[in-house]
Amino acid sequence: MALPRLTGALRSFSNVTKQDDYSEDSADLKNKRSQLQEDLLHSDHSWKKIVKFIEENSEKENQPSLHGDLRTILQASKQIVGCENGQEAIESGAVFLFKTLYMKEYVGHEETKAIKQMFGPFPSSSATEACNAASRIASHFIQEQLIALLQAPELQTAVTQSCFGKNIAFSFDMHDLDCSEELPVNGKMDKQKLISLDY
Amino acid sequence: MPALPLDELQLTEKDLLTGKLKTLPALHPEKKTERSFVLYKPPPKSRDPALLEEFLERARFIADDLDWLLALPHDKFWCQVVFDETLQKCLDSYLRHAPRKFDMAVDLAPEVNDLTKHLHRNVFLTFLRMSTHKESKDHFITPSVFGEILYNNFLFDIPKILDLCVLFGKGNSALLHKMIENIFIQQPSYFNDLDEIVPTVLQVFSNILYACGLRCEGASAEPQKLEERIRRTSPGDMSLQELKDIVLYLCDTCITLWAFLDVFPLACQTFQKHDFCYRLASFYELVIPELESVIKKRRHEDSSLLLDMWRRLSHSRKKVVEVFHIIIHQLCLQPILESSCDNVQPFIEEFLQIFTSVLQEKRFLCDCDELFSVADDVSLLQQASSSLDETRTAYVLQAVESAWEGTDRRKKNMTGPS
Repeated sequence: MALPRLTGALRSFSNVTKQDDYSEDSADLKNKRSQLQEDLLHSDHSWKKIVKFIEENSEKENQPSLHGDLRTILQASKQIVGCENGQEAIESGAVFLFKTLYMKEYVGHEETKAIKQMFGPFPSSSATEACNAASRIASHFIQEQLIALLQAPELQTAVTQSCFGKNIAFSFDMHDLDCSEELPVNGKMDKQKLISLDY
Repeated sequence: MPALPLDELQLTEKDLLTGKLKTLPALHPEKKTERSFVLYKPPPKSRDPALLEEFLERARFIADDLDWLLALPHDKFWCQVVFDETLQKCLDSYLRHAPRKFDMAVDLAPEVNDLTKHLHRNVFLTFLRMSTHKESKDHFITPSVFGEILYNNFLFDIPKILDLCVLFGKGNSALLHKMIENIFIQQPSYFNDLDEIVPTVLQVFSNILYACGLRCEGASAEPQKLEERIRRTSPGDMSLQELKDIVLYLCDTCITLWAFLDVFPLACQTFQKHDFCYRLASFYELVIPELESVIKKRRHEDSSLLLDMWRRLSHSRKKVVEVFHIIIHQLCLQPILESSCDNVQPFIEEFLQIFTSVLQEKRFLCDCDELFSVADDVSLLQQASSSLDETRTAYVLQAVESAWEGTDRRKKNMTGPS
């Protein structure tokens, strides 16, 4: 239950605030995940672009194994995204998995969080297979090539833009109860100083 | 060519649907990005992994979305802030539900702590950017339009400003002062809103008194209902949970008021228009001794909880006295210190009137004198004006002395050299 607050009373009983209706917002997490997946579908990166890059920039003798790894990532994406979401969603998921995992030796805490945030609960074995395959693919290229391939246009804009407030000194200090109080209580100065209830 | 303010800027770009060029104001709903900000919920009190996971997911979404928002260029930031209702609700939910440090302590995992800090900073920076009408030489909003945008879209309102002071005022008071001052300067309607909420604050005092089975004289003009006396429960008879709720509410109310006036003392004038000092003192006089007495009597029921309540009550007392003195300082003492001798009379009069109105509140008077010596304040008046009415100041000082005599307490720092 929410703690009783002065500002809660002011919101409820005065006319100075917007009376927002929060009742429709219970599904906001689900909507957010759908939104992220939709954004991924419309991002500039396509699975075909990655496949083309790999074909054009790798030695011919390595291509069968590289194609095998690409298939593994696609298969892992199918497990994580779900077949019912269609080929387009599976390919978008594969792009996301490749981008998230290509520089990682294993699926760590951060990667797990990122995948879960995007798709919800997922089979960890699929993520591990995708991670191994993505690392094997990445080992055939220099890092700069892959960064150039995968950096999103919106990310590039953000890097060139300075983030508001990055140089502002911010303090995390918050108002708290005092450790001791100076005021005496009902004439019992010494006892109050210790904030003791043993009268 | 000098840059135009955002509110006058028009941008021409290709329509994605028709392919034709079209010109729109830079501040336009069509320029908002679909982002779906989620609502903030506080960390779970229990160690339920599912609840914790949901908290982390929400907090991560909000922190990431605010990272994105803060990196947006000036025009895009304002389109999002003004036209994205999900963002406004998200920020409001944080202010409502973010744990205050003085709330009941909850043990958080280090992972939660790091994310919470990231989020806390991002929320502050977002409000900071929202309170800034001139971000750079080329990126600004006409001040009067800025004031209208803030007010008409409820980007800031009085409860939000109070929450900001509680959450961020301790370590960022200088910056917060600038933010709030700028908001009130660019949009004086906020002073009207402040004037409107003071009766609600006074009603909160009345509600606390009512819950304690007490009634504040002059707090309500409504006649007492016949069955009212029967319905009221004294704090001695109520459950510990009810008593705890009252103390928590009192503590939050006192700290919030103090945090706001400490950051923005210009609000004191508006509070005092409602005779706030007198109301505050009489509220204190009724509620504090009653709750102290009940907590002491019930100390055997749950000693750790009652000790916690005792701390909160003591802290609330201190904050009430400090609020009273901030108002006295802002309305009387500070102007006297800053004025030439000819202009101090109205401030002296205000000081004497306020003190005269609280002289019957003896417990409050003692506690106030203990923390901020009334004699020192009167001495300042004596130094500032040669024509001070000594009879009235002597009357005030005498009343303070007699309030002390009515207790078995001794004044601090009043003993002579040994």
